[in-house]
Amino acid sequence: MEDMYQMDRTMSTEQDIKIRANGVQVYYADNQAIKDVDVEIQDKMVTAFIGPSGCGKSTFLRCINRMNDTIDICRVEGDIRIDGEDIYDPRVDPVQLRAKVGMVFQKPNPFPKSIYDNVAYGPKIHGLARNKAELDEIVEKALRRGAIWDEVKDRLHAPGTGLSGGQQQRLCIARAVATEPEVLLMDEPCSALDPIATAQVEELIDELRQNYSVVIVTHSMQQAARVSQRTAFFHLGNLVEFGDTDKIFTNPEDPRTESYISGRIG
Amino acid sequence: MTDATHGTPLRNKGKSILEVDARTKKRNAAEARFKGYGIAAIGISLFFLVSLLIAIISNGIPAFTQTFVNVEVELLEEKLDKNGNRDIADIKKVSTFGYKPLIENAMVKAAEGIETELSDKDLSKILSASAAAILRDYVIANPDQIGETVEFRLLTSSRVDGYMKGRVVREDLARDKNLDAAHLDLIDVMVERGAVERVFNWDFITGSDASESRPEQAGIGVSMLGSFFMMLVVLVLALPIGVAASIYLEEFAPQNRFTDLIEVNISNLAAVPSIVFGILGLAVFIQFAHLPQSAPIVGGLTLTLMTLPTIVISTRASLKAVPPSIRDAALGVGASKMQAIFHHVLPLAMPGILTGTIIGLAQALGETAPLLLIGMVGYIATNYPEGVTSGFLDPNSAMPAQIYEWAKRADPAFYERAWGGIIVLLVFLLTMNLIAIILRRRFERRW
Repeated sequence: MEDMYQMDRTMSTEQDIKIRANGVQVYYADNQAIKDVDVEIQDKMVTAFIGPSGCGKSTFLRCINRMNDTIDICRVEGDIRIDGEDIYDPRVDPVQLRAKVGMVFQKPNPFPKSIYDNVAYGPKIHGLARNKAELDEIVEKALRRGAIWDEVKDRLHAPGTGLSGGQQQRLCIARAVATEPEVLLMDEPCSALDPIATAQVEELIDELRQNYSVVIVTHSMQQAARVSQRTAFFHLGNLVEFGDTDKIFTNPEDPRTESYISGRIG
Repeated sequence: MTDATHGTPLRNKGKSILEVDARTKKRNAAEARFKGYGIAAIGISLFFLVSLLIAIISNGIPAFTQTFVNVEVELLEEKLDKNGNRDIADIKKVSTFGYKPLIENAMVKAAEGIETELSDKDLSKILSASAAAILRDYVIANPDQIGETVEFRLLTSSRVDGYMKGRVVREDLARDKNLDAAHLDLIDVMVERGAVERVFNWDFITGSDASESRPEQAGIGVSMLGSFFMMLVVLVLALPIGVAASIYLEEFAPQNRFTDLIEVNISNLAAVPSIVFGILGLAVFIQFAHLPQSAPIVGGLTLTLMTLPTIVISTRASLKAVPPSIRDAALGVGASKMQAIFHHVLPLAMPGILTGTIIGLAQALGETAPLLLIGMVGYIATNYPEGVTSGFLDPNSAMPAQIYEWAKRADPAFYERAWGGIIVLLVFLLTMNLIAIILRRRFERRW
């Protein structure tokens, strides 16, 4: 295992790096939430952000698809590039960016519409389907990828809000993948779920890795260890340590990381 | 009440939970008292509501029936068409005064065989002053009937009507110039004969206002139409403008001093006395924009100004109440801000918006004060507007203004009509609410 990750890291070249953040600073009014963060996120890999509450990991995640734009007082400085393109370039339309960088939120938030409409909404507004048959196909594919197809195929027109929490979250993942993003951001996707649903979602994340670059924020270090290949540890707005998950959890370099993963801070 | 024993385990150690301690008793008593206050408050409100409803219904219901006399009138040719050539111009020359003798004759015939001390001339005092006009209208419409004997159903005077409804009693007539106790005796006999009867009064619902001397003829129909047209104007203007303004303020506007100022002012506007809006309407729409006075369009515009803050405030509140996770979800799949709002946020806020709108409309429907200033409290005796545009532009009144007018007049018969008008107003309002509830159901069912 160790060797494999080692290999991954040594083999990583410019092409493999999906997202590169350089000197990112985020301010909420006068409060600096993120201080000078540099991160490289590789393609077809799960990167986990861990750290105590309020350390800025979610804030940083929301910078990647510019969801922070919706917060008036939020200001982002620095440079975040996806495939070498600056996402904060004035020419970038955040709407287009978000189609490329999908997001799954902490609390399952299906639209109060049918399961079908939940998944079909993204493809519809982006014009991914030319007709009903194509849309049906996209919806089925997305629901299959979300590992929820078998559970909902007979009730596609039932309201999405009527599903259980775990099913709702998988529906949200299906909704996110329906627009065929290249990157999938997940903000504590399992924090509202029970262990069984969590296991299902984690399994799903592992499968998604084959097609997407996944970034997951999590409070659970076990989860980070289970699902991710790379881990970034945030503390008080700083990126303290970033490296292979294995290394972070077994042999951290920074004493703060060690304190956190051994349960002394956080 | 487990909390009572929860905080201090040591002190209560050994105490049985089967016995309620003094502190718990006190709290339970406080709770029981509070419940009592609540029930009393609801009881008092219910009592007032019920007494109000009883008062309105018992006072207003008589307005929906009216006393009529069935008489056979001989349309004498020598009175109506002396030349005998049925020339409509000549027939029109005969004023209502010329019909008086016909009515007198008819009444004498109707009272035939009844012993009465009244002179032949006094008999027709039973009838409404509108009788002659009704006859004249009929003759002008059917000139070929001249010379025939036609059966008419004529309104009785408001006093006779009041007698039939128990409002007027014989003792009241001692100083009455128009009616004697002898008239009432006559009425009693005619009721027995079936010539005088009290029937449902459609004219009250469809008719127009009448002069002060003939309350029996007055109806609320025309002012109901005025109110309807005003509500249409308010709905068409206030809903889209209010919702658009709210969406902009809530979702798009930057947070700065200017928007703060607008927000404060909207809240203040909602609390401005409605008569101020009346002055504004008068100054802006009539004196500056030269829109026709007393027209529902002006009334509607003025009430729109009054309704807008209500709609804006409730719309913003319901937009705010939509969970942010829905916005995030929509933005997360790449919807634009507007798509997120129109596809997801607005449908969820719709029930709240409709509630606010109906509150605003109900307020506007019942508003009288601003209408005073733009001249919508007039005596409107026209019948239904000919077309839709004239409905908006012709002078009209509104239901609350009409009720106010009637309540102002001296004759108790108008008083009865004011109560009846309130019933019609409430039914109108309930219908509006019903439509809103049905619409809200629709919106809720869509997801």
